[in-house]
Amino acid sequence: MLIYLPIAELSVNMFVIFGMGGAVGFLSGLFGVGGGFLLTPLLIFSGIPPVVAVASVAPQIVASSASGALAYWRRNMIDMKLAMVLVVSGVMGSSIGVVVFDLLRRLGQLDLIVALAYVTFLGLIGGLMLNESIRSIFNARRGRPAPLRRPGQHTWLHGLPFKMRFKRSKLYISVIPVVLIGIGIGFLGTLLGIGGGFIMVPALIYLLRVPTNVVIGTSLVQIVGTMSVATVLHAMTNQSVDFVLAVILMVGGVIGAQFGARIGQNLRGDHLRAMLALLVIAVAVRFLVGLVATPDERFTITLLFGAGL
Amino acid sequence: MRRSVLLAVVAGALAAGPAVAEHMTIALSTAEVKISSNFTGAPITLFGVIERDAQSVSRSGHYQVATLVQGPPESVIARRKDRILGVWANTDSETILAAPSFYTVNASGNIDDLAEKLVLERYRLGFANSRFDYRGRPQANDPAAAEFREAFLRIKQNAGLYSEQQDSVTFIGDSVFRTTVWVPANAPVGFYTVRVFLFADGALLAQADESFRISKTGFEQYLSVFSREKSFVYGVVCVVLALFTGWLGGVVFRRD
Repeated sequence: MLIYLPIAELSVNMFVIFGMGGAVGFLSGLFGVGGGFLLTPLLIFSGIPPVVAVASVAPQIVASSASGALAYWRRNMIDMKLAMVLVVSGVMGSSIGVVVFDLLRRLGQLDLIVALAYVTFLGLIGGLMLNESIRSIFNARRGRPAPLRRPGQHTWLHGLPFKMRFKRSKLYISVIPVVLIGIGIGFLGTLLGIGGGFIMVPALIYLLRVPTNVVIGTSLVQIVGTMSVATVLHAMTNQSVDFVLAVILMVGGVIGAQFGARIGQNLRGDHLRAMLALLVIAVAVRFLVGLVATPDERFTITLLFGAGL
Repeated sequence: MRRSVLLAVVAGALAAGPAVAEHMTIALSTAEVKISSNFTGAPITLFGVIERDAQSVSRSGHYQVATLVQGPPESVIARRKDRILGVWANTDSETILAAPSFYTVNASGNIDDLAEKLVLERYRLGFANSRFDYRGRPQANDPAAAEFREAFLRIKQNAGLYSEQQDSVTFIGDSVFRTTVWVPANAPVGFYTVRVFLFADGALLAQADESFRISKTGFEQYLSVFSREKSFVYGVVCVVLALFTGWLGGVVFRRD
C-alpha cells in the first residue's frame, strides 16, 4: 500500500517502511540500543532524502527509547542525576550538530561527512565491541571469571576538578568527562540521525566506570532527552521532520522492540554483544563500499534553498 | 508618417497572421491535481480542437501539434563526484537557475521535424532546444557547463520529471487531438503551465495556453503548512506523540 509522505513529497510503500521500523525495533529490543544507526541508513538507501531521514528518525528514537527507559524506571535502574547532566550537555552538542548539519548541506559535503563518520565511529566501536565480547566468550569457555570492577581503581580522569557525586552510580568524579561525552554524543546523534546509545554505553562503562546495572537505563533517558531536542531543532531549522514517516516508524519500532527484548532475555550477554558488534561493522562496511566503489551516477542535483546562498 | 504606416502594416500582419487563419481551443481533464495520502501520481489529459475559417488556406501537409507542460521553476545545484584519496567526493558544481521543475514535451510527430531549430529554441521545445542559465555564466547554455546540463537532464528523466515523446499526440479525425501527461508522485506542488503549438509545413500557425495546479489537500496540506509556519510547535507535537507511543508500547506489552 503506497502512502504519500507530505514533507518528503514522495510516496512510499507503507508496509516496507513499517517492516523496516519493526525489524530495527526488534534488533534494538534484542541488543538494548536505539537502532538509529541502522534505521537512518536503511531509509537513505531506500530513497528517502537524507535530510528527511535523519530528522524523522529522531522522534522514532524518542519513542523506542522512552519505552525502554520506562521499564528501567520501574525497576529503579536509572541514575537520574547523571542522566540530567548528560542531557544538558547533549542538548549543547545537538545545537552545534544542527548548525554543522545545515552548513555541510549548503557546502554539498553532508553525505560525504555522514558516510565518513559512519565508517569511522561504527568501525571503531564495532571493532572494540567485537574484541571485548570474543575475549569474554573465550574466558567463559575456559571457566575464568570476568575481570571484576575494583572500586578503588583510579585513572587520570579522577584527577580532574569540578567533582560531582552521583549516588546511584556510586561515583564521585569530575563533571568534565561527563559533559564532554554528552556533548560529543549529542553532536554525533544530531548529525548522523542516531541516538548514540551504542557509543554512550561503552563510554559510560569503560571511561566513567558507571555500574553496568544502571548504564542502559541512564543512557536511554539521555537519548530521550537529547533526541527530543534534536527533533525540535530539526523541525525548526530544516523543516524536514516528516510526521507520517515518523509515525509509521514509531509504531513498527515499538512493536518490534517488545519481541526483540523477549528473545534477548534468553541469550547470553557476550553473545549478544558479539552479534551487535558484527551488525555495527556490517553497516560500517556498507558505507565504506558506498564511498569507495565507483558510483553509477557521478552527478547529483539538489534544490537550492534561498537565493542568497 | 512613414513610421506609423510601417507600424500599421506590422500590426495588420500580426492580426491577419496565423491567429486568424487557424484557431485552437484546448481543454484539460482537470484544473487541479489534489495530493492526498494515497497519491501515487495522476494523468492529465489534454484535448484540442483546431478550427478553420473561410480565410484559411488549404494546406497540403498535415497539422502537427506539440504540447509543453512546465512545472514551477526552481534553482538546483548539480554536483560532480571525483575520486579523492580513494573516496568519491563532490568536487565541481554548477548552479542551474530557474529551470522548470517538471518538463514534458509531447508531439504528434518527431519534435525536430516540427519547425526550424530557431523556432523550437524560442519556445524551448525539446531537451536539445531548452535554455539553461548558470550562476556566474552570462551566456545561456554555456558549453563549459555541458556535462552538468547532461547530468541534470538525465537525473530528471530518471526521476520521471522530464520527458519528451514523439508520436504521443494523437489525432481523432482531422482537427481534434488529444494527449496525456503523467504527473508522478514526486512532482513538486505549484502552478503548471501548458502550452500547445500548432504547426503545419514547419510554420507555427497557432498557440494556446492553459494551466493547472498541483496542491496538497486535507491532512497533507495541513501538516505541510503546520511544519513551515509553526515549526516549533510542530516539533514539540512530534516529540509528545513519540513519548506517548513509547509509553503506550511499554504499557501494552508490559511484562513485569
